Amino acid sequence: MFDLEGFEELTQMNMLQQLIYYTQQNSAYLWEQFTRHFLISIYGVLFAAVVAIPIGFYIARHSRLADWVVGAANVIQTIPSLAMLSILMLGFGIGHNTVIITVFLYSLLPIVKNTYAGVKNVDHALLDAGKGMGMTRWQMTYKIEMPMALSVIMAGLRNALVVAIGVTAIGTFIGAGGLGDVIQRGVNASNGGAIILAGAIPTALMAVISDLVLGWLERRLNPASRVSR
Amino acid sequence: MKWTKKIKLAALSSTAVFTTACSLPGLGAGLTEDVNIRIATQSSTEMAILGYVIQGMVNHYSEVNAEVIQNLGSSTMVAQALIQGDAEVAAASYTGTALTGELGMDPITDAEEARRVVTEGFEEQFGIKYFPSYGFENTYSFLITTDLAEEHGIESISDLEPIAADLTAGVDTSWMEREGDGYRAFLETYNFEFDTVYPMQVGLVYDAVRSGNMDVVLGYSTDGRIASYDLVLLEDDLSFFPPYDASPSVLFDTLEEFPELEDILLKLEGTIDTGLMQEMNFIADEYLIEPATVAQQFLEANNFFEDAEPYLEPVGGE
Repeated sequence: MFDLEGFEELTQMNMLQQLIYYTQQNSAYLWEQFTRHFLISIYGVLFAAVVAIPIGFYIARHSRLADWVVGAANVIQTIPSLAMLSILMLGFGIGHNTVIITVFLYSLLPIVKNTYAGVKNVDHALLDAGKGMGMTRWQMTYKIEMPMALSVIMAGLRNALVVAIGVTAIGTFIGAGGLGDVIQRGVNASNGGAIILAGAIPTALMAVISDLVLGWLERRLNPASRVSR
Repeated sequence: MKWTKKIKLAALSSTAVFTTACSLPGLGAGLTEDVNIRIATQSSTEMAILGYVIQGMVNHYSEVNAEVIQNLGSSTMVAQALIQGDAEVAAASYTGTALTGELGMDPITDAEEARRVVTEGFEEQFGIKYFPSYGFENTYSFLITTDLAEEHGIESISDLEPIAADLTAGVDTSWMEREGDGYRAFLETYNFEFDTVYPMQVGLVYDAVRSGNMDVVLGYSTDGRIASYDLVLLEDDLSFFPPYDASPSVLFDTLEEFPELEDILLKLEGTIDTGLMQEMNFIADEYLIEPATVAQQFLEANNFFEDAEPYLEPVGGE
Protein backbone atom coordinates (compact mmCIF):
# COMPACT_ATOMS: atom_id res chain seq x y z
CA MET A 1 0.00 0.00 0.00
CA PHE A 2 2.84 2.38 0.82
CA ASP A 3 5.73 3.06 -1.46
CA LEU A 4 8.67 2.46 0.84
CA GLU A 5 11.37 1.85 -1.71
CA GLY A 6 14.73 2.96 -0.35
CA PHE A 7 13.44 4.00 3.04
CA GLU A 8 15.36 1.29 4.90
CA GLU A 9 18.48 3.37 4.29
CA LEU A 10 16.91 6.29 6.08
CA THR A 11 16.95 4.50 9.41
CA GLN A 12 20.68 3.86 8.93
CA MET A 13 21.46 7.55 8.39
CA ASN A 14 22.81 9.75 11.15
CA MET A 15 20.72 12.55 12.51
CA LEU A 16 22.27 15.26 10.33
CA GLN A 17 21.55 13.32 7.14
CA GLN A 18 18.01 12.64 8.32
CA LEU A 19 17.61 16.32 9.09
CA ILE A 20 18.68 17.27 5.57
CA TYR A 21 16.44 14.63 4.07
CA TYR A 22 13.43 15.67 6.15
CA THR A 23 13.93 19.37 5.44
CA GLN A 24 14.17 18.74 1.71
CA GLN A 25 11.08 16.55 1.67
CA ASN A 26 8.98 18.97 3.70
CA SER A 27 10.39 22.34 2.75
CA ALA A 28 7.00 23.78 1.76
CA TYR A 29 5.39 22.59 4.96
CA LEU A 30 8.25 23.88 7.10
CA TRP A 31 8.14 27.25 5.36
CA GLU A 32 4.41 27.48 5.92
CA GLN A 33 4.82 26.77 9.62
CA PHE A 34 7.74 29.19 9.79
CA THR A 35 5.75 32.11 8.39
CA ARG A 36 2.78 31.19 10.53
CA HIS A 37 4.98 31.15 13.60
CA PHE A 38 6.54 34.48 12.71
CA LEU A 39 3.18 36.13 11.96
CA ILE A 40 1.65 35.01 15.26
CA SER A 41 4.63 36.48 17.14
CA ILE A 42 4.70 39.68 15.12
CA TYR A 43 0.96 40.33 15.42
CA GLY A 44 1.09 39.92 19.19
CA VAL A 45 4.01 42.32 19.49
CA LEU A 46 2.50 44.88 17.11
CA PHE A 47 -0.80 44.97 18.94
CA ALA A 48 1.11 45.32 22.19
CA ALA A 49 3.13 48.18 20.69
CA VAL A 50 -0.06 50.02 19.67
CA VAL A 51 -1.31 49.83 23.24
CA ALA A 52 1.92 49.96 25.22
CA ILE A 53 3.76 52.86 23.54
CA PRO A 54 0.98 55.40 24.28
CA ILE A 55 0.75 54.00 27.80
CA GLY A 56 4.50 54.48 28.17
CA PHE A 57 4.24 58.10 27.06
CA TYR A 58 1.32 58.66 29.37
CA ILE A 59 2.96 57.29 32.49
CA ALA A 60 6.16 59.20 31.71
CA ARG A 61 4.11 62.37 32.22
CA HIS A 62 2.11 61.07 35.14
CA SER A 63 4.83 59.54 37.23
CA ARG A 64 2.51 58.56 40.04
CA LEU A 65 0.85 56.05 37.73
CA ALA A 66 4.15 54.60 36.56
CA ASP A 67 4.71 52.29 39.49
CA TRP A 68 1.22 50.87 39.22
CA VAL A 69 1.29 50.25 35.51
CA VAL A 70 4.77 48.74 35.46
CA GLY A 71 3.86 46.70 38.52
CA ALA A 72 0.78 45.30 36.80
CA ALA A 73 2.78 44.44 33.68
CA ASN A 74 5.38 42.82 35.91
CA VAL A 75 2.74 40.57 37.46
CA ILE A 76 1.63 39.42 34.01
CA GLN A 77 5.24 38.63 33.18
CA THR A 78 5.64 36.33 36.16
CA ILE A 79 2.92 33.93 34.99
CA PRO A 80 4.55 30.93 33.29
CA SER A 81 3.70 30.85 29.59
CA LEU A 82 2.10 27.42 29.64
CA ALA A 83 -0.13 28.48 32.52
CA MET A 84 -1.01 31.72 30.76
CA LEU A 85 -1.96 29.87 27.58
CA SER A 86 -4.12 27.43 29.54
CA ILE A 87 -5.86 30.20 31.47
CA LEU A 88 -6.58 32.20 28.32
CA MET A 89 -7.73 29.04 26.55
CA LEU A 90 -10.55 28.76 29.08
CA GLY A 91 -11.86 32.10 27.94
CA PHE A 92 -10.86 32.36 24.30
CA GLY A 93 -10.81 28.74 23.24
CA ILE A 94 -8.08 27.12 21.19
CA GLY A 95 -6.39 28.49 18.11
CA HIS A 96 -3.91 31.15 17.10
CA ASN A 97 -5.92 34.08 18.43
CA THR A 98 -5.37 32.93 21.98
CA VAL A 99 -1.63 32.71 21.34
CA ILE A 100 -1.64 36.22 19.88
CA ILE A 101 -3.36 37.47 23.02
CA THR A 102 -0.76 35.68 25.15
CA VAL A 103 2.10 37.22 23.17
CA PHE A 104 0.36 40.58 23.49
CA LEU A 105 0.26 40.32 27.27
CA TYR A 106 3.91 39.27 27.53
CA SER A 107 5.00 42.08 25.24
CA LEU A 108 3.36 44.82 27.32
CA LEU A 109 6.02 44.97 30.02
CA PRO A 110 9.18 45.40 27.91
CA ILE A 111 7.50 47.94 25.63
CA VAL A 112 5.85 49.98 28.38
CA LYS A 113 8.99 49.95 30.50
CA ASN A 114 11.28 50.97 27.66
CA THR A 115 8.97 53.68 26.38
CA TYR A 116 8.70 55.03 29.88
CA ALA A 117 12.45 55.00 30.38
CA GLY A 118 13.14 56.44 26.94
CA VAL A 119 10.74 59.34 27.34
CA LYS A 120 11.81 59.97 30.92
CA ASN A 121 15.44 60.29 29.90
CA VAL A 122 14.93 62.91 27.23
CA ASP A 123 17.13 65.87 28.14
CA HIS A 124 15.04 68.58 29.79
CA ALA A 125 17.11 71.24 28.06
CA LEU A 126 15.74 70.02 24.72
CA LEU A 127 12.17 70.20 25.97
CA ASP A 128 12.76 73.68 27.31
CA ALA A 129 14.25 74.73 24.00
CA GLY A 130 11.21 73.36 22.22
CA LYS A 131 8.92 75.20 24.56
CA GLY A 132 10.93 78.36 23.97
CA MET A 133 10.42 77.94 20.23
CA GLY A 134 6.69 77.88 20.83
CA MET A 135 6.08 74.18 20.21
CA THR A 136 2.77 72.71 21.27
CA ARG A 137 2.58 69.62 23.49
CA TRP A 138 2.02 67.42 20.47
CA GLN A 139 4.89 68.92 18.58
CA MET A 140 7.20 68.33 21.51
CA THR A 141 6.07 64.73 21.67
CA TYR A 142 6.51 64.12 17.97
CA LYS A 143 9.53 66.24 17.26
CA ILE A 144 11.54 65.82 20.44
CA GLU A 145 10.47 62.99 22.71
CA MET A 146 9.58 60.47 20.04
CA PRO A 147 12.80 60.64 18.03
CA MET A 148 14.96 60.85 21.15
CA ALA A 149 13.29 57.83 22.74
CA LEU A 150 12.89 55.76 19.59
CA SER A 151 15.98 53.61 19.98
CA VAL A 152 15.09 52.71 23.55
CA ILE A 153 11.53 51.86 22.51
CA MET A 154 13.00 49.73 19.75
CA ALA A 155 15.05 47.83 22.32
CA GLY A 156 11.76 47.05 24.09
CA LEU A 157 10.18 45.74 20.90
CA ARG A 158 13.25 43.64 20.29
CA ASN A 159 13.00 42.06 23.74
CA ALA A 160 9.30 41.48 23.26
CA LEU A 161 9.71 39.79 19.88
CA VAL A 162 12.36 37.36 21.07
CA VAL A 163 10.16 36.33 23.99
CA ALA A 164 7.17 36.14 21.64
CA ILE A 165 8.87 33.65 19.35
CA GLY A 166 9.49 31.39 22.31
CA VAL A 167 5.92 31.69 23.57
CA THR A 168 4.51 30.94 20.12
CA ALA A 169 6.41 27.65 20.04
CA ILE A 170 4.34 26.50 23.02
CA GLY A 171 1.17 27.60 21.22
CA THR A 172 1.09 24.26 19.44
CA PHE A 173 -0.54 22.75 22.53
CA ILE A 174 -3.62 24.85 21.98
CA GLY A 175 -3.76 24.12 18.28
CA ALA A 176 -2.22 27.32 16.97
CA GLY A 177 0.23 25.72 14.55
CA GLY A 178 3.68 27.14 13.93
CA LEU A 179 7.05 25.48 14.31
CA GLY A 180 5.94 24.07 17.65
CA ASP A 181 3.87 21.62 15.59
CA VAL A 182 7.02 20.32 13.96
CA ILE A 183 8.90 20.05 17.25
CA GLN A 184 6.02 18.25 18.92
CA ARG A 185 5.68 15.84 16.01
CA GLY A 186 9.36 14.99 16.45
CA VAL A 187 8.87 14.43 20.16
CA ASN A 188 6.02 12.02 19.46
CA ALA A 189 7.85 10.07 16.79
CA SER A 190 9.93 7.18 18.07
CA ASN A 191 12.79 8.17 15.77
CA GLY A 192 12.06 11.86 15.66
CA GLY A 193 15.35 13.49 16.65
CA ALA A 194 15.82 14.93 13.18
CA ILE A 195 12.27 16.30 13.12
CA ILE A 196 12.79 18.00 16.47
CA LEU A 197 15.85 19.72 15.01
CA ALA A 198 13.96 20.64 11.85
CA GLY A 199 11.54 22.56 14.08
CA ALA A 200 13.90 23.84 16.75
CA ILE A 201 16.69 25.18 14.54
CA PRO A 202 14.41 27.49 12.49
CA THR A 203 12.76 28.68 15.71
CA ALA A 204 16.12 29.58 17.20
CA LEU A 205 17.26 31.17 13.94
CA MET A 206 14.10 33.23 13.78
CA ALA A 207 14.76 34.60 17.27
CA VAL A 208 18.43 35.30 16.59
CA ILE A 209 17.82 36.98 13.25
CA SER A 210 14.94 39.11 14.61
CA ASP A 211 17.20 40.13 17.43
CA LEU A 212 20.01 41.11 15.08
CA VAL A 213 17.76 43.02 12.68
CA LEU A 214 16.01 44.95 15.42
CA GLY A 215 19.35 45.52 17.14
CA TRP A 216 20.67 47.07 13.96
CA LEU A 217 17.54 49.20 13.66
CA GLU A 218 17.93 50.25 17.26
CA ARG A 219 21.46 51.48 16.61
CA ARG A 220 20.36 53.28 13.48
CA LEU A 221 17.68 55.09 15.46
CA ASN A 222 19.95 56.03 18.31
CA PRO A 223 20.23 59.85 18.37
CA ALA A 224 23.91 59.61 19.29
CA SER A 225 24.77 57.73 16.12
CA ARG A 226 22.63 60.08 14.07
CA VAL A 227 24.73 63.03 15.10
CA SER A 228 27.93 61.38 14.02
CA ARG A 229 26.69 60.78 10.49
CA MET B 1 12.53 68.44 8.59
CA LYS B 2 14.01 65.18 7.51
CA TRP B 3 12.80 63.59 10.71
CA THR B 4 9.23 64.68 10.50
CA LYS B 5 9.11 63.02 7.13
CA LYS B 6 10.55 59.84 8.52
CA ILE B 7 8.09 59.85 11.38
CA LYS B 8 5.21 60.45 9.04
CA LEU B 9 6.39 57.59 6.92
CA ALA B 10 6.74 55.37 9.97
CA ALA B 11 3.29 56.34 11.20
CA LEU B 12 1.81 55.74 7.79
CA SER B 13 3.43 52.39 7.30
CA SER B 14 2.54 51.25 10.80
CA THR B 15 -1.10 52.19 10.32
CA ALA B 16 -1.00 50.24 7.08
CA VAL B 17 0.39 47.25 8.95
CA PHE B 18 -2.17 47.57 11.71
CA THR B 19 -5.15 47.86 9.45
CA THR B 20 -4.10 44.79 7.51
CA ALA B 21 -3.28 43.06 10.74
CA CYS B 22 -6.90 43.35 11.78
CA SER B 23 -7.76 40.62 9.33
CA LEU B 24 -4.55 38.84 10.36
CA PRO B 25 -3.46 37.72 6.93
CA GLY B 26 -1.49 34.55 6.60
CA LEU B 27 -2.96 32.73 9.54
CA GLY B 28 -5.67 30.99 7.60
CA ALA B 29 -8.40 29.22 9.48
CA GLY B 30 -10.27 30.50 12.45
CA LEU B 31 -11.10 33.85 10.99
CA THR B 32 -11.56 33.12 7.33
CA GLU B 33 -14.94 31.86 6.35
CA ASP B 34 -13.84 29.16 3.96
CA VAL B 35 -12.90 26.55 6.56
CA ASN B 36 -16.10 24.83 7.58
CA ILE B 37 -14.84 21.81 9.44
CA ARG B 38 -11.97 21.75 11.89
CA ILE B 39 -10.65 18.36 12.89
CA ALA B 40 -9.12 18.28 16.37
CA THR B 41 -6.35 15.78 17.04
CA GLN B 42 -4.38 14.90 20.11
CA SER B 43 -0.64 15.02 20.30
CA SER B 44 0.39 11.70 18.74
CA THR B 45 1.43 10.42 15.35
CA GLU B 46 -1.57 8.12 15.19
CA MET B 47 -4.04 10.91 15.85
CA ALA B 48 -2.42 13.15 13.27
CA ILE B 49 -2.66 10.43 10.62
CA LEU B 50 -6.33 9.84 11.41
CA GLY B 51 -6.99 13.57 11.29
CA TYR B 52 -5.52 13.80 7.81
CA VAL B 53 -7.41 10.68 6.73
CA ILE B 54 -10.67 12.43 7.61
CA GLN B 55 -9.51 15.63 5.94
CA GLY B 56 -8.66 13.70 2.76
CA MET B 57 -12.04 11.97 2.77
CA VAL B 58 -13.92 15.22 3.30
CA ASN B 59 -12.03 16.89 0.48
CA HIS B 60 -12.74 13.95 -1.79
CA TYR B 61 -16.47 13.76 -1.17
CA SER B 62 -17.60 17.29 -0.50
CA GLU B 63 -17.04 20.94 -1.28
CA VAL B 64 -16.60 21.61 2.40
CA ASN B 65 -13.15 22.74 3.48
CA ALA B 66 -11.54 20.86 6.32
CA GLU B 67 -8.54 21.73 8.43
CA VAL B 68 -6.60 19.69 10.96
CA ILE B 69 -5.79 21.15 14.38
CA GLN B 70 -2.79 19.31 15.75
CA ASN B 71 -1.26 18.55 19.12
CA LEU B 72 -4.04 19.19 21.59
CA GLY B 73 -2.87 18.08 25.01
CA SER B 74 -5.47 15.53 26.07
CA SER B 75 -8.67 13.84 25.07
CA THR B 76 -10.55 16.09 27.47
CA MET B 77 -9.16 19.10 25.66
CA VAL B 78 -10.34 17.73 22.33
CA ALA B 79 -13.83 17.21 23.72
CA GLN B 80 -13.76 20.73 25.18
CA ALA B 81 -12.73 22.15 21.82
CA LEU B 82 -15.80 20.55 20.25
CA ILE B 83 -18.16 21.66 22.99
CA GLN B 84 -16.84 25.24 22.92
CA GLY B 85 -17.15 25.43 19.17
CA ASP B 86 -13.44 25.64 18.36
CA ALA B 87 -13.59 22.42 16.35
CA GLU B 88 -16.28 20.22 14.83
CA VAL B 89 -14.70 16.79 14.50
CA ALA B 90 -12.52 14.77 16.88
CA ALA B 91 -10.26 12.56 14.79
CA ALA B 92 -10.25 9.74 17.30
CA SER B 93 -11.40 8.92 20.78
CA TYR B 94 -10.51 5.68 22.50
CA THR B 95 -13.54 4.14 24.14
CA GLY B 96 -11.77 3.37 27.42
CA THR B 97 -10.35 6.88 27.68
CA ALA B 98 -13.65 8.47 26.75
CA LEU B 99 -15.39 6.48 29.44
CA THR B 100 -13.05 7.28 32.32
CA GLY B 101 -11.83 10.65 31.05
CA GLU B 102 -14.49 12.76 29.40
CA LEU B 103 -17.46 10.98 30.98
CA GLY B 104 -15.76 10.38 34.33
CA MET B 105 -17.22 6.88 34.75
CA ASP B 106 -15.71 3.63 36.00
CA PRO B 107 -13.96 1.43 33.45
CA ILE B 108 -16.06 -1.22 31.71
CA THR B 109 -14.18 -4.21 30.36
CA ASP B 110 -16.90 -5.46 28.02
CA ALA B 111 -16.20 -3.81 24.66
CA GLU B 112 -19.78 -3.56 23.41
CA GLU B 113 -21.16 -2.38 26.71
CA ALA B 114 -18.44 0.26 26.97
CA ARG B 115 -19.15 1.49 23.44
CA ARG B 116 -22.87 1.68 24.14
CA VAL B 117 -22.36 3.68 27.35
CA VAL B 118 -19.93 6.06 25.64
CA THR B 119 -22.19 6.60 22.62
CA GLU B 120 -25.13 7.43 24.87
CA GLY B 121 -23.08 9.53 27.25
CA PHE B 122 -21.54 11.60 24.45
CA GLU B 123 -24.93 12.25 22.91
CA GLU B 124 -26.68 13.19 26.14
CA GLN B 125 -23.92 15.13 27.85
CA PHE B 126 -22.10 16.80 24.97
CA GLY B 127 -24.30 16.57 21.87
CA ILE B 128 -21.55 14.64 20.11
CA LYS B 129 -22.10 11.63 17.88
CA TYR B 130 -19.69 8.81 18.61
CA PHE B 131 -19.08 6.92 15.38
CA PRO B 132 -18.35 3.21 14.88
CA SER B 133 -14.72 2.19 15.30
CA TYR B 134 -12.01 2.53 12.69
CA GLY B 135 -11.32 -1.12 13.42
CA PHE B 136 -8.24 -0.95 15.61
CA GLU B 137 -7.54 -0.78 19.29
CA ASN B 138 -4.75 1.13 20.96
CA THR B 139 -4.60 -0.60 24.28
CA TYR B 140 -1.98 -1.98 26.64
CA SER B 141 -0.81 -5.33 25.28
CA PHE B 142 1.68 -7.91 26.35
CA LEU B 143 4.28 -8.47 23.66
CA ILE B 144 6.78 -11.29 23.15
CA THR B 145 9.16 -12.24 20.38
CA THR B 146 8.00 -14.63 17.68
CA ASP B 147 10.70 -17.11 18.76
CA LEU B 148 9.37 -17.37 22.29
CA ALA B 149 5.80 -17.58 21.04
CA GLU B 150 6.59 -20.47 18.71
CA GLU B 151 8.78 -22.31 21.17
CA HIS B 152 6.06 -22.50 23.81
CA GLY B 153 2.98 -22.11 21.62
CA ILE B 154 1.90 -18.92 23.34
CA GLU B 155 -1.03 -16.98 21.93
CA SER B 156 -2.77 -15.45 24.92
CA ILE B 157 -1.74 -14.01 28.26
CA SER B 158 -2.94 -17.14 30.10
CA ASP B 159 -0.53 -19.24 28.05
CA LEU B 160 2.31 -17.45 29.83
CA GLU B 161 1.39 -18.91 33.20
CA PRO B 162 3.44 -22.17 33.07
CA ILE B 163 6.67 -20.35 32.21
CA ALA B 164 5.99 -17.02 33.94
CA ALA B 165 8.28 -17.82 36.87
CA ASP B 166 11.26 -17.78 34.48
CA LEU B 167 10.33 -14.58 32.65
CA THR B 168 11.45 -11.01 33.18
CA ALA B 169 8.88 -8.41 32.26
CA GLY B 170 9.28 -4.75 31.32
CA VAL B 171 6.23 -2.56 31.83
CA ASP B 172 5.22 1.07 31.62
CA THR B 173 6.10 2.89 34.84
CA SER B 174 2.64 4.37 35.27
CA TRP B 175 0.99 0.97 34.82
CA MET B 176 2.64 -0.36 37.96
CA GLU B 177 0.76 2.10 40.12
CA ARG B 178 -2.53 2.25 38.28
CA GLU B 179 -5.75 1.35 39.99
CA GLY B 180 -8.33 -0.77 38.17
CA ASP B 181 -6.21 -2.02 35.28
CA GLY B 182 -2.74 -1.79 36.81
CA TYR B 183 -0.31 -4.45 38.00
CA ARG B 184 -2.05 -5.33 41.24
CA ALA B 185 -5.35 -5.85 39.47
CA PHE B 186 -3.51 -7.90 36.86
CA LEU B 187 -2.19 -10.25 39.55
CA GLU B 188 -5.70 -10.78 40.84
CA THR B 189 -7.24 -11.45 37.44
CA TYR B 190 -4.56 -13.66 35.89
CA ASN B 191 -3.29 -15.05 39.14
CA PHE B 192 0.36 -15.55 38.19
CA GLU B 193 3.53 -13.57 38.70
CA PHE B 194 6.59 -12.93 36.57
CA ASP B 195 10.07 -13.57 37.94
CA THR B 196 10.96 -9.89 37.93
CA VAL B 197 9.01 -6.87 36.74
CA TYR B 198 10.96 -3.81 35.62
CA PRO B 199 9.08 -0.52 35.37
CA MET B 200 10.43 1.45 32.42
CA GLN B 201 9.55 4.21 30.03
CA VAL B 202 7.01 2.85 27.60
CA GLY B 203 8.99 3.94 24.53
CA LEU B 204 11.84 1.63 25.51
CA VAL B 205 9.95 -1.63 25.98
CA TYR B 206 9.88 -2.57 22.30
CA ASP B 207 13.64 -2.49 21.95
CA ALA B 208 14.03 -4.21 25.30
CA VAL B 209 12.04 -7.27 24.21
CA ARG B 210 13.55 -7.34 20.76
CA SER B 211 17.09 -7.32 22.12
CA GLY B 212 16.25 -10.07 24.59
CA ASN B 213 16.83 -7.97 27.70
CA MET B 214 13.20 -8.63 28.58
CA ASP B 215 11.18 -11.73 27.81
CA VAL B 216 7.79 -10.09 27.87
CA VAL B 217 6.84 -6.43 27.86
CA LEU B 218 3.73 -4.33 28.14
CA GLY B 219 3.39 -1.80 25.34
CA TYR B 220 0.83 0.00 23.23
CA SER B 221 -0.80 -2.22 20.65
CA THR B 222 -0.56 0.16 17.68
CA ASP B 223 3.09 1.10 18.09
CA GLY B 224 4.83 0.79 14.75
CA ARG B 225 7.74 -1.12 16.20
CA ILE B 226 5.53 -4.15 16.90
CA ALA B 227 5.22 -4.85 13.20
CA SER B 228 8.79 -4.04 12.31
CA TYR B 229 10.35 -6.00 15.17
CA ASP B 230 8.10 -8.95 14.43
CA LEU B 231 6.62 -9.07 17.93
CA VAL B 232 3.57 -11.09 18.89
CA LEU B 233 0.59 -9.41 20.53
CA LEU B 234 -0.83 -11.69 23.21
CA GLU B 235 -4.57 -11.99 23.35
CA ASP B 236 -6.12 -10.63 26.53
CA ASP B 237 -8.22 -13.79 27.00
CA LEU B 238 -9.66 -12.80 30.38
CA SER B 239 -10.65 -9.32 29.08
CA PHE B 240 -8.55 -7.66 31.73
CA PHE B 241 -7.75 -4.43 29.87
CA PRO B 242 -10.65 -2.10 29.14
CA PRO B 243 -11.33 -1.70 25.39
CA TYR B 244 -9.54 1.17 23.70
CA ASP B 245 -10.92 0.93 20.18
CA ALA B 246 -10.71 4.20 18.26
CA SER B 247 -13.63 6.12 16.77
CA PRO B 248 -14.15 9.52 15.25
CA SER B 249 -16.76 11.77 16.79
CA VAL B 250 -18.64 14.81 15.51
CA LEU B 251 -20.99 17.44 16.90
CA PHE B 252 -24.62 16.68 16.04
CA ASP B 253 -25.05 20.30 14.99
CA THR B 254 -22.29 19.90 12.43
CA LEU B 255 -23.89 16.74 11.05
CA GLU B 256 -27.09 18.67 10.56
CA GLU B 257 -25.24 21.38 8.69
CA PHE B 258 -23.14 18.99 6.61
CA PRO B 259 -25.14 15.75 6.33
CA GLU B 260 -22.60 14.20 3.94
CA LEU B 261 -20.09 14.13 6.79
CA GLU B 262 -21.95 11.28 8.45
CA ASP B 263 -21.68 9.02 5.40
CA ILE B 264 -18.05 9.97 4.91
CA LEU B 265 -17.17 8.84 8.41
CA LEU B 266 -19.31 5.72 8.16
CA LYS B 267 -17.27 4.73 5.13
CA LEU B 268 -14.19 4.58 7.34
CA GLU B 269 -15.76 2.05 9.71
CA GLY B 270 -13.54 -0.99 10.09
CA THR B 271 -11.07 0.13 7.44
CA ILE B 272 -7.96 0.30 9.63
CA ASP B 273 -7.00 -2.78 11.58
CA THR B 274 -4.39 -2.82 14.31
CA GLY B 275 -1.69 -4.10 11.95
CA LEU B 276 -2.31 -1.36 9.43
CA MET B 277 -2.28 1.30 12.14
CA GLN B 278 1.04 -0.12 13.34
CA GLU B 279 2.41 0.10 9.83
CA MET B 280 1.25 3.69 9.32
CA ASN B 281 2.64 4.76 12.69
CA PHE B 282 5.88 3.03 11.83
CA ILE B 283 6.49 4.73 8.51
CA ALA B 284 5.55 8.11 9.94
CA ASP B 285 7.85 7.70 12.94
CA GLU B 286 10.79 5.77 11.54
CA TYR B 287 10.83 6.85 7.91
CA LEU B 288 10.03 10.48 8.75
CA ILE B 289 7.13 10.65 6.33
CA GLU B 290 4.65 13.33 7.39
CA PRO B 291 1.33 12.03 8.74
CA ALA B 292 -0.46 13.99 6.02
CA THR B 293 1.45 12.10 3.33
CA VAL B 294 0.85 8.74 5.00
CA ALA B 295 -2.87 9.47 5.16
CA GLN B 296 -2.96 10.53 1.52
CA GLN B 297 -1.18 7.38 0.36
CA PHE B 298 -3.52 5.24 2.44
CA LEU B 299 -6.60 6.87 0.91
CA GLU B 300 -5.28 6.71 -2.64
CA ALA B 301 -4.32 3.06 -2.29
CA ASN B 302 -7.91 2.34 -1.24
CA ASN B 303 -9.41 4.64 -3.85
CA PHE B 304 -10.96 6.69 -1.03
CA PHE B 305 -13.25 3.74 -0.23
CA GLU B 306 -15.50 4.69 -3.11
CA ASP B 307 -16.98 1.21 -3.25
CA ALA B 308 -17.68 1.01 0.47
CA GLU B 309 -21.12 1.48 1.97
CA PRO B 310 -22.74 4.00 2.20
CA TYR B 311 -22.30 5.07 -1.41
CA LEU B 312 -21.28 8.69 -2.01
CA GLU B 313 -20.59 10.66 -5.17
CA PRO B 314 -17.04 12.03 -5.12
CA VAL B 315 -16.56 15.67 -5.96
CA GLY B 316 -14.85 15.85 -9.34
CA GLY B 317 -11.50 17.30 -10.21
CA GLU B 318 -8.71 16.69 -7.73
